[in-house]
Amino acid sequence: MNSRNWLVSQYGTSSSGSVSSVLLSDPVNPVESPEFPPELARLPPGRHGLPREFVARNQRERLIAGLAEAVAENGYAGTTIAHITRHAAVSRRTFYEHFGSKDECFVAAYDTVMAELCKRVGEAFEQEEDWPQAIRAGIAAMLEFLTAEPHLARLSMVEALVAGPVVVERYDAAIQSLVPYFQAGRKGRPKEILAGLSPTTEEALVGGMVSLISRRIFAGRAEEIEALLPDLVEFTLTPYLGSVEAAKVARES
Amino acid sequence: MVSEKGYRGVVVADVVKRAGVARNTFYENFGSKEACFLAAQEYAMSTALERVVEAAGVHEAWPQRIRAGLTAFIDYVAAEPALARLAMVDALSAGPASVKCYEESQQAFISLFRLGRDVSRHGADLPETMEEALVGGVFWIIHQRLAFAGEISVPELLPELVEFALTPYLGPDEARAVAAAGEAEGSRATRRR
Repeated sequence: MNSRNWLVSQYGTSSSGSVSSVLLSDPVNPVESPEFPPELARLPPGRHGLPREFVARNQRERLIAGLAEAVAENGYAGTTIAHITRHAAVSRRTFYEHFGSKDECFVAAYDTVMAELCKRVGEAFEQEEDWPQAIRAGIAAMLEFLTAEPHLARLSMVEALVAGPVVVERYDAAIQSLVPYFQAGRKGRPKEILAGLSPTTEEALVGGMVSLISRRIFAGRAEEIEALLPDLVEFTLTPYLGSVEAAKVARES
Repeated sequence: MVSEKGYRGVVVADVVKRAGVARNTFYENFGSKEACFLAAQEYAMSTALERVVEAAGVHEAWPQRIRAGLTAFIDYVAAEPALARLAMVDALSAGPASVKCYEESQQAFISLFRLGRDVSRHGADLPETMEEALVGGVFWIIHQRLAFAGEISVPELLPELVEFALTPYLGPDEARAVAAAGEAEGSRATRRR
């Protein structure tokens, strides 16, 4: 199992490249979502008696998963629509029923991945009452997702940048959407701490954090990402808690 | 050209038209649009970094070196917004060689920042990756301003970035004092001009 476990469990495609196995639910990774029971994850040719809308949605999601696989294999620039349709095991015509172009399909894939990543970060953050612990949990959730899904990590942090201005705008917006989690740390801080926080502090923290992560993915060292947790926690908490307290939260396990 | 159309929108014909040279001349100098872009990016970054090194070298004390270096960098970005946009915004979507150049230009700052551990009271305890994160943060802020406003405001941005960069080493009070001293110097220099 080398890629996109999450997409597989979501959409019931396996990461194997062969046409015959792509649509089958993976025996190692059974499809658990009630919406996609394993026997339906594969849509047999011809009459299958499934509602039209379901088929369409399933096809769209398979195309998204297919794009993620194709991009992992060939990079964004080297990916063709033929690669995508082969991984998704749908026809070229079906592709064009859902997307006008490779770029459009990439945008859909990017949005799907980022929505999931943001959801996980948000949930982890909300589960902690204490703000420093919430930041720690949010960062941990992000690193965990990116580590478990190295190909999606590459798609969302590296390939996204070469996929054209529309995706770059979304990339910037996704990073900026992390700013409010840090801004929440200003609440209740002593006056002398607040005086030391400039309006751009949170943006710089988020930018520094993402830069640290994406440099490793770009260099093909995605396996180092998870170990960044203590450094990232200390880096982002220091302006609010001071270095001693931030290091304490960062280094507890 | 890239600043108007973005990297993907520019074709070689646009470049030669704007530069007033023949298509042949383009290919005598650069093998492709990619090579031409990379040359422009490398030019922008090496010019900016030369100025950083020169400005930082004037000072003995590390905090002042950092302040002078950041000032030189941001002044360059403000003076050359189109080149800066190419090197810090469009570069990210111009392929692996450009991303690599972008990252390597951060490396020069990372080394300069690292010297701060020697003057910091808790230099030995700072996380290993901190300089990378600080420089990444500074570049990100500039990237954001260039991407959305197309330019940066030096008096607004400079003191904030200096303070952000120095705080982990010197603590918030001293960092702010160094940044504020730079502001005073900056406005005196402006008045002299």
